[in-house]
Amino acid sequence: MTGVHERDAARTSGGWAPDSVEAVQDAVRDAAAKRSPIRIVGLGTWLDAGHPTSPDAHPLRLSALQGITQYTPGDLTLTARAGTPLAAIESATASEGQWLPLDPYSVAEHGGSLGATIATASAGPLGHALGLPRDIVLGVEAVTGDGSIVRGGGRVVKNVAGFDLTRLLTGAWGTLGVLTEVTVRLRGRPACDETLAIVRHQPRVARGRAAGGTEAVQDLVHALRAAPATPIALELLNRRLASQLELPGADDGLVVLARLAGNSERVAAERAALTAVGEVTDVAPAVWGALRRAEAVTEGAVAVLRWSQLPALLAATWGHAAAACEPFPDALVHASIARGIVRAIIPQADAALLAAAIADDAARGRSGHGSVDARAPGRFTGTCIPERLPARLWGAMVSRATDDPLSRRVRRAFDPAHVLNPGLLGEGGAFD
Amino acid sequence: MGRSLSPPVDAPVAPATLARALEAVVGPRGVLQRSGELLVYTADALPGYRKVPSLAVFPSTREQLVSVVRVLAEYRAPFVPRGAGTGLSGGALADGVVLLGLNRLRRILALDADNAIAVVEPGVVNAALSRAAAPFGLYYAPDPSSQAACTIGGNVAENAGGPHCLKYGVTLNHVLGLTAILPDGEIVTLGPGASGGEPTGYDLLAAFVGSEGCFGVALDVTVKLTRTPDAVRTLLADFPHLVDAARATSAIIAAGILPAALEMMDGPTIRAVEASVYAAGYPTDVDAVVLAEVDGRTAGLDADARTIAQLCTDHGARTVRVASDPIERARLWQGRKKAFGAMGRISSHLVVQDAVIPRTRLPDVLVRIRQIAAQHGVSVCNVFHAGDGNLHPNIPYHGDDPDERARVGDAMREIMRTCVDAGGTITGEHGVGLDKLEYMDLIFSPDSLAAQCRLRDVFDPSRRANPGKVVPIRYCRESVTRPRNPGPA
Repeated sequence: MTGVHERDAARTSGGWAPDSVEAVQDAVRDAAAKRSPIRIVGLGTWLDAGHPTSPDAHPLRLSALQGITQYTPGDLTLTARAGTPLAAIESATASEGQWLPLDPYSVAEHGGSLGATIATASAGPLGHALGLPRDIVLGVEAVTGDGSIVRGGGRVVKNVAGFDLTRLLTGAWGTLGVLTEVTVRLRGRPACDETLAIVRHQPRVARGRAAGGTEAVQDLVHALRAAPATPIALELLNRRLASQLELPGADDGLVVLARLAGNSERVAAERAALTAVGEVTDVAPAVWGALRRAEAVTEGAVAVLRWSQLPALLAATWGHAAAACEPFPDALVHASIARGIVRAIIPQADAALLAAAIADDAARGRSGHGSVDARAPGRFTGTCIPERLPARLWGAMVSRATDDPLSRRVRRAFDPAHVLNPGLLGEGGAFD
Repeated sequence: MGRSLSPPVDAPVAPATLARALEAVVGPRGVLQRSGELLVYTADALPGYRKVPSLAVFPSTREQLVSVVRVLAEYRAPFVPRGAGTGLSGGALADGVVLLGLNRLRRILALDADNAIAVVEPGVVNAALSRAAAPFGLYYAPDPSSQAACTIGGNVAENAGGPHCLKYGVTLNHVLGLTAILPDGEIVTLGPGASGGEPTGYDLLAAFVGSEGCFGVALDVTVKLTRTPDAVRTLLADFPHLVDAARATSAIIAAGILPAALEMMDGPTIRAVEASVYAAGYPTDVDAVVLAEVDGRTAGLDADARTIAQLCTDHGARTVRVASDPIERARLWQGRKKAFGAMGRISSHLVVQDAVIPRTRLPDVLVRIRQIAAQHGVSVCNVFHAGDGNLHPNIPYHGDDPDERARVGDAMREIMRTCVDAGGTITGEHGVGLDKLEYMDLIFSPDSLAAQCRLRDVFDPSRRANPGKVVPIRYCRESVTRPRNPGPA
């Protein structure tokens, strides 16, 4: 509607707000011709992360590119333009008894945009059981750095036609193409969907030490694995986070938040099985929204970091994160037990203190996986990913994720003028 | 940048010299050159195509494989990787180029039960991996019908599916990482693999899985293993009307139940199966049967099975029966898994087709397929993964009758167009290979195909790996990646 007008208006202030894929194409072509970098902005939720791109990058805002373009409930697929908020998809599908189980952490009530979620491959507590963005995305439309409009995948749930541009663009942080439309697979809502808090009381010996001690975590994880239950979300919370979420038993020790789904028989049986792990209490499902937005209610400079290695090493990963967070008693820490990821929200993060706390991780860089034996006991050799950092710390946590020769060639092939979100995913695209 | 490459596909290869260089790596028994020896490698499981490789080379170890690929690079020789040759798209056919057989690399390198991970060589047979994992209460979930013979490397190349992929996902969802040798000899590690940790950077692992042997050769593959379900319930529902069966499958999915598998066979398929040695006890007087399976924790499983049975009955099923023991369950599945073999009894040849449509379009597309078959005087046997809309309309025919062959070809093309027009795609699990090349521009724009070529050129700038497959060459502009020096490292 207002696309062209807005675009012209926006251009004078050094940016674009296209409302069609063709307008996105114009913007990218323009930028590529001038070799003038673009900063792709979905709904702007994530920009607070303080992550620098080139200082001269002009914003390409996708907030005018909104709306569900195809939704046939019986197919359980949905196509929406990239700037569509996840909340809009949630309400459109809820009336059909369906949902899109993408629950990325977000400070915004609307949950962020579909395009940004796919572009950053962001996942939340449901990821381990209901699929990560790469498993859920069926097709994309995008404008690549040379200004081509390309489509990958399709609108069907199974598709092996051609080379996989869809998953190449998923998680590429916009550095290979601007996503303009995304098709995802949906799921039918389960008949029953219950959320429980499980509090496992610590053996007396361990109680003296921090409740987040690795032995206690190890013991808890073993108990959960032994229980015949398959929750669709299973998050371990530290005391501080459990109390922010007003969970029962938060003062006692480790709290696990579990979500059970299926028919009533299954949910009842799994709930009974989990009572062997600890004290079980019902919790309102709104807690998941509160967890997703936990960082929004904290104040001051916030840092958010994720550490991950093999799920069986969760206790060690938790211990590593706890050590890094030791100078920050207000840190909110939680872990996806099945995915082996520990995530810490650190409010009032003094930059110097934080820099010291994560010096080891920074030295290893953000592409830490793969080089060292992960089974060397006690030593964290996994991946550390910063989601949000005080601006001046990004320099210390330089991403090496796309520094390898193959990634550099990919970048060159899809963004030959090096204008799409430069610097956001490492300097791998900075051509020599 | 932007310099044009002269595709070395046309470069002259001196087979005798190349053969000697390869023999120096794998020994004389690892290289086949005589036409009699090569005969078995002139086809895959798709009938109707026959291509003769210039020679076939079979490394037995990772070191030999690396050396072989580097020798091929040195000679700028195009090559086609091949697993067990069970593919259904002609993807493993080598037309006058080198065939690189990977079926001798069949070691399971690691099996980590704690983390449910296995690391395997590309030639490990799909079913052998599940057998090795069984003592730990684990198995490898993707189950193509050829799982007794097909290899993990081939599954990775094709992003293979199978009946149980409805719930568990296709090969891509089970590959955690791999080490690959690119056609120019460079060795790369893709994905976090057995070290764990969240992946960072571009998802080049996902790009590699399903690249049909055009991006390089896997040296090892790290896969996720799945916990063996505590219990399984298998149901068979028979329907007097095909469209009712199609509607029933949609209703099951919409009910929020995700069956482990949801398969359907039409009347002609049922009768072919029942007339064969694979007879499974399907009623032969119906228009369709639906085979549904739920698995997982025992609690609640019977409730899901009851819901499925009720939905089938509500949608016009005549009878619904639940397999009462593992033997009956295996028998019901045998009919489905061997359906292609059973069709082989009808005629000498069989076109096995593969297309996907949005699930809600099943009823009208199935009716349309019957009309197309009638118009062209051919008979179609439909057997498919109804749960995800993945159709296999198969046509048995006599290959030595040129008129019938032509009618089959025409009918197939029309069926494919019908599926694409319904919002579908041209392959759900068999791959494009040679067979689907002609359909690629039905679903992709020239710019999208050119982008696919750009991705291929990143992995294989000299375009020597599985040349002529997947993307029609006319859409491949000059390479935008810088040429690198091929040759042994």
